[in-house]
Amino acid sequence: MRTIDTEVLIIGSGAGGSVTAARLAEAGRSVLVAEEGPWYEPDAHVPFSLDEFTARYRHQGACAALGNPGIAFAEGRCVGGSTEINSGLYHRLPGYLAAEWRSVYSIADFDDATLARYASEIEQTITISNVPGAAPPSSAVLHRGATALGWRSVEFARVFAYDTNGRGTKQTMSRTMIPRAIAAGTVIQPDCAVLKLERNARRVTGAVAQITLGDGSKETVRIRADDVFVCGGAIQSPALLQRSGFRRNIGGGLKFHPTVKVAARFTEPYDHDDVPMHRVTEFAPYLTIGGSASRRGQVALAIADAAPDRLESVIEQWEDTVVYYAAIRSQGSGRVTAIPGLRAPLVTYHMTDADMSRLARGLVHLGEVLLAAGAVELFPSITEGPIVSDRAGLGAWWDALTRARSKLMTVHLTSTIRMGEASERTGADSFGRVWETENLYVNDASLLPDAPGVNPQAAIMAIAARNADAYLQR
Amino acid sequence: MLWLERRIVAALAGSDDDRSGGAISEFVDSSFRAMPQHLRLGVVVESIGLGAYVRVRYLGRPTSQQIRTALAGFERFPLGVVRQYPQLLASLVIFAQYERPIP
Repeated sequence: MRTIDTEVLIIGSGAGGSVTAARLAEAGRSVLVAEEGPWYEPDAHVPFSLDEFTARYRHQGACAALGNPGIAFAEGRCVGGSTEINSGLYHRLPGYLAAEWRSVYSIADFDDATLARYASEIEQTITISNVPGAAPPSSAVLHRGATALGWRSVEFARVFAYDTNGRGTKQTMSRTMIPRAIAAGTVIQPDCAVLKLERNARRVTGAVAQITLGDGSKETVRIRADDVFVCGGAIQSPALLQRSGFRRNIGGGLKFHPTVKVAARFTEPYDHDDVPMHRVTEFAPYLTIGGSASRRGQVALAIADAAPDRLESVIEQWEDTVVYYAAIRSQGSGRVTAIPGLRAPLVTYHMTDADMSRLARGLVHLGEVLLAAGAVELFPSITEGPIVSDRAGLGAWWDALTRARSKLMTVHLTSTIRMGEASERTGADSFGRVWETENLYVNDASLLPDAPGVNPQAAIMAIAARNADAYLQR
Repeated sequence: MLWLERRIVAALAGSDDDRSGGAISEFVDSSFRAMPQHLRLGVVVESIGLGAYVRVRYLGRPTSQQIRTALAGFERFPLGVVRQYPQLLASLVIFAQYERPIP
């Protein structure tokens, strides 16, 4: 077996891994990033297309947390991780959440000023901006509907850079942090699946990995490292740690934002090339209303949920239809469990009755916004869900959104290896070092004690930068 | 793909699969291969069990219409895992069918 030596091994190249790599390499450390997925040019695939699902999504997007109801979820599996496939919305960690987490989990150096300092540094590398000029019509719908109802709405900033023609380019990790890490000497090894960490008592000595070569054959290698950062995200990181024998507070407490969708049909064509950047924040942080990818395939899926018999007729004028969502902060939680002999872990999630009720409320509020903005027909993601064309009809959604009929999804997965000094309920210390180890760190969404109610990428990156600095100061 | 899976794809996609050169079947097949193994195992068990039911119910050679009727019945079944089976197949077929332009 070939052996590769490095000072620091980072497993995963998403928001956590790439920030960690850039900071450690710039501090003079020898860094190797092992990324399970392939390395594509940033523009290689049309966003949210079938080709992108096939190439960049883990399991081609066919992942689900088992439970009642089951909840579909998506993860990136490529250099840059999920930052390559998300909508790029950017939202710093709200101060009240940082205070709550610091208190409940005894997280050291986790104050607003510290996090803001790291967020500012991150934002210098990944351009944060609003759309120049007017927002696209599909996004303005949310603002128009909210305004008509007297509700608050906001155009969220995104990790986008705009040229002089107003053309936006998402500033993913493969465009920002990864080039910075490479410039500082980081080696990126794509197509490299880490099978197991190797340990000697309290020290991790490296990992055994399998590299998929150009001809499809696989080479098993041993990577020896002084220190190891696991940054595979809230599903893959706990699974790897469990496979490697680390189980103390690892994998439980999975959190995410359960999401229900509505396809809204209007009387004229809308834009479909971008994801709406407005959000209705009247009920935030516990309930957020926003817009989804609305390519022809996504519109068809949304229509088919509620009205399979109408699919053919509605899809003929699919440009008139846009998909929106309501997402909640959930009281429920889940678990990631590695299954011996299998690569993919078992993911389960329990939605509480209060979650279902909050989601139904969100669905009704979403319907109110869309009708107020001029939608003429609403198709909820409920099996044979009532199609609604006026406000009076929305009441039927309360009873229709049951565990048996709802079709839910999510993207923001967190909290499976919480950080903090309250060791009875955390898997790592305040800076991501896994308990009972000397040199094994986690630095990704797993550390967040809860799903924050907004896209967590900004929080993940700021915390990763903070933890990398703490590591360098040890 | 197993027998029932192929029959369901054919019933749902109709002539679109042929006109796309089998692209819909190919996407469903590759999605099954990419699935987490334990989820794929669950789907295989259902495909065998429900496939046996369909063969017995329709005497071995169900038409596409009969397959669609069977799927509608599965979608109303009291057990969640049975309801989710046709939903999964339909989602994969519809996404491939409408995402990719079919000549």
